[in-house]
Amino acid sequence: MSCSSVEDLPEQCKLTHKITHDLFTQDGVLLKASLGRPITDLNSIGMLCIVQNMDGSKCIEWRPNDLITIDSDTQDQEWAVVNTIGRRQRTLSGNMTSDYEAARARIIRIPLDELKSFKVSRNNQQMQFSTKQGVWQNTCYFQHGNAEIFLSYLKNHVKTAKTRHDRNTYVVVEPNVESQVLNKSFAELDIFTENTTDVVWNLVSNFKQRPYETTMEAFSKLTDIVYYGEGVNGKREMSDEVADLLTKSMSALEDTTSIARSEEYEVINVKPTLPPRPSIPRGTPLSTEKWDGLQDPEGRITEVEGVKQLIFRGGVAHSIRHSVWKYLLDYYPWKMTKAELKSLHKKKTEEYFSMKLQWRSMTEGQELRFSEYRDRKSLVEKDVNRTDRTHPFFAGDNNPNLVVLQDILMTYVMYNFDLGYVQGMSDILAPLLLLMGNEVDSFWCFVGFMEKISSNFDMDQAGMKQQLLNLQQLMAFITPDLAKHLASKDSGNMYFCFRWLLVWFKREFSHRDIMRLWEVLWTGLPCANFHLLICVAILDAEKDVLISKDYGFTEVLKHVNDLSMCLDVDIILSTAEGIYHQIVSSPHLSDQIRVILGLPLALKPDVPETEPTTFSNGNDIGETEEVTLEYNGHEISVVTKTVWALLA
Amino acid sequence: MAKTYDYLFKLLLIGDSGVGKTSILFRFSEDAFNISFISTIGIDFKIRTIDLDGKKVKLQIWDTAGQERFRTITTAYYRGSMGIMLVYDVTNEKSFENIKNWIRNIEENASADVEKMILGNKCDLDAKRQVSKERGEQLAVEYQIKFVETSAKDSLNVEYAFYTLARDIKAKMEKKQEASNPAGARSGTHQLRDERPKPTSWLARCSVL
Ligand SMILES: Nc1nc2c(ncn2[C@@H]2O[C@H](COP(=O)(O)OP(=O)(O)O)[C@@H](O)[C@H]2O)c(=O)[nH]1
Ligand SMILES: [Mg+2]
Repeated sequence: MSCSSVEDLPEQCKLTHKITHDLFTQDGVLLKASLGRPITDLNSIGMLCIVQNMDGSKCIEWRPNDLITIDSDTQDQEWAVVNTIGRRQRTLSGNMTSDYEAARARIIRIPLDELKSFKVSRNNQQMQFSTKQGVWQNTCYFQHGNAEIFLSYLKNHVKTAKTRHDRNTYVVVEPNVESQVLNKSFAELDIFTENTTDVVWNLVSNFKQRPYETTMEAFSKLTDIVYYGEGVNGKREMSDEVADLLTKSMSALEDTTSIARSEEYEVINVKPTLPPRPSIPRGTPLSTEKWDGLQDPEGRITEVEGVKQLIFRGGVAHSIRHSVWKYLLDYYPWKMTKAELKSLHKKKTEEYFSMKLQWRSMTEGQELRFSEYRDRKSLVEKDVNRTDRTHPFFAGDNNPNLVVLQDILMTYVMYNFDLGYVQGMSDILAPLLLLMGNEVDSFWCFVGFMEKISSNFDMDQAGMKQQLLNLQQLMAFITPDLAKHLASKDSGNMYFCFRWLLVWFKREFSHRDIMRLWEVLWTGLPCANFHLLICVAILDAEKDVLISKDYGFTEVLKHVNDLSMCLDVDIILSTAEGIYHQIVSSPHLSDQIRVILGLPLALKPDVPETEPTTFSNGNDIGETEEVTLEYNGHEISVVTKTVWALLA
Repeated sequence: MAKTYDYLFKLLLIGDSGVGKTSILFRFSEDAFNISFISTIGIDFKIRTIDLDGKKVKLQIWDTAGQERFRTITTAYYRGSMGIMLVYDVTNEKSFENIKNWIRNIEENASADVEKMILGNKCDLDAKRQVSKERGEQLAVEYQIKFVETSAKDSLNVEYAFYTLARDIKAKMEKKQEASNPAGARSGTHQLRDERPKPTSWLARCSVL
């Protein structure tokens, strides 16, 4: 993907000698036309950014790529964790060269308060900007992806109206309207700060004096706390009153924008919404040729990250799955030579058979006096007889493959006696055995898979509960209306997704599709817990049915169970990836969501601040202090610094 | 809109893994049996509407996964059950011994006045039998619960079991309705103070339409 917020691109953070700060960057943007520029400056690739200056003003900046590479060796670790919400400034570290100066001269800067209008065209791939009525001075072409995400960011920073006659042209609304909007919105808010226990609203009044658009962002943050953060735990719903008032104040904001409304314009709303969901096509499976080409002469796999990327995009061609899966499941180390693998294989084979011998040599008498062992054995037996029996590989009476299934699971009991056999494991193993066709390899692949999902089988089910909770939190962030519906139907605990999570969708897809889904998930890309986004993708597609039919507790469960074998794996993968991009480029992304997906946190409180804070707003709350706000009987713990990052 | 049933009863099948809960449910709802049935993960339910004394009774029957560690999740679905089938496997001693544990589990998680029935399943497998019919009957007497041996495979007593449980629920419900009905009290029937439905009982939740 070409879109990214700054945390992905630390090397691009120190480009100007003025103290500035990138709010958003998008690479792969071609400068197609620019009024008054020499032709040699055109048709070069660069990065399109929204930048904040020292004085708080902002501009759109296009920088040529050669400028970026010049400065790429200055990495700023601290900066790497700062996201689009954390507003911090930075300075250039000073390794300036004359090349750099030349490149700098080619930067194009469009101050946002001069921006009059902009236009999106060519299938969302082209954007034009104008600071003067009737002239498009700059034209940019988005080579990777499209302009949608940039556009949604830009719209966070300028108030716009679409012209009626051309839906692709946006007119920037008079900036000085902002202060009036602010006053009106807080006048509105004051009506309900009467409820003094409501600390969140007290917090709101604290930054009343702040400039419009930052307040707006803080406000959207608050809306999160109220709309998405708290109500959906199944414990407490946001009171209707508050919801109503929030909506009112939101519409108050919208209404004031209509000061600029004329016959020609239509006001675009300013509600905190997720950026549009990009639709990302799936790729082709990793082919035999590519796989062979990725091995060095000794047989080591080079470019592991690249391989994983390819697999994430398109899966693995069936003919090489038996080989690739061993790496994905951490049975074969990527960096081993063919010779080393051969001796590893020998070692693992011996290890397997010695474990197998342990239970095989148990005498009948021993078994009789070892009830725990007996119970496990009979549990395995029962499940083996009920695993994928409709598949030809496991069908029929006295099928020898059932014996292998049983042997592997019993040996796993010896391998991991503390965990033992837990129902669901036979479902996990069956596709591995089916593909590998070999007892030893299937066992070690199974061990690798179990390593990834062992918390699913915790005695106290803590791992499952945690995932269900995380899923609920993701739902609240991405489809708050569905999350709200489920919570209102006693289904906020997401228990109806239990089967999906326990065996990683094994029961929901055909054998062919589950192989594809699993290999993609094993790459660990693009983030931690991507399988939860698979759940979100499936549920998001069912949202309309679940809500419009007002499905309750039992109907939700039934509907979800009945989705089995009716799901399209490619569509779901593509949707889940789109959701991932929506999340990472969302301006109101919370730390809670970051933690779930393993994304870098907004701020590290222990990193020393080297620069003075841009916004000195007279509010001196201790920087790393943790405060607990009480809101509707809920305790919300926040690190003040994070609060300021969110509110600044 | 015309209603399709007069009563809706929520029933629950519990017991050790592999005793035949899913098979019993499949037999009752589809009248079929499949020797290589798929093991249950999580929870599901099936519906069958039966006729009881001229009333249409819709049975919503919940099937759970057996293994101990999943119980924290599955017990969430016990709520609101009006009848529970406790199933063991006559060829498996352990599953029979565990019935007591299951009863304790119900006491902790279901409403106190839930109707119960014990089923000794797989009675077609006489050669492998480990639990005699007498022991099953004895246990049932001990807990004052009805008991029957069944075979999902041979379709033995499965219908009988569900009809019996449903009839008992219906009778209990109608008795309670009568008890709390002032007309009944006037007509001279003795008032049963202790039988007034507690707020937590299934009666408070059951849908009589
Ligand atoms: N012979 C026989 N086998 C049965 C009977 N009921 C179930 N089974 C078998 O016992 C195994 C476990 O049954 P299942 O319904 O999945 O048990 P559950 O775990 O309690 O749901 C399956 O292989 C069934 O085919 C029965 O009445 N007679
Ligand atoms: Mg079952």
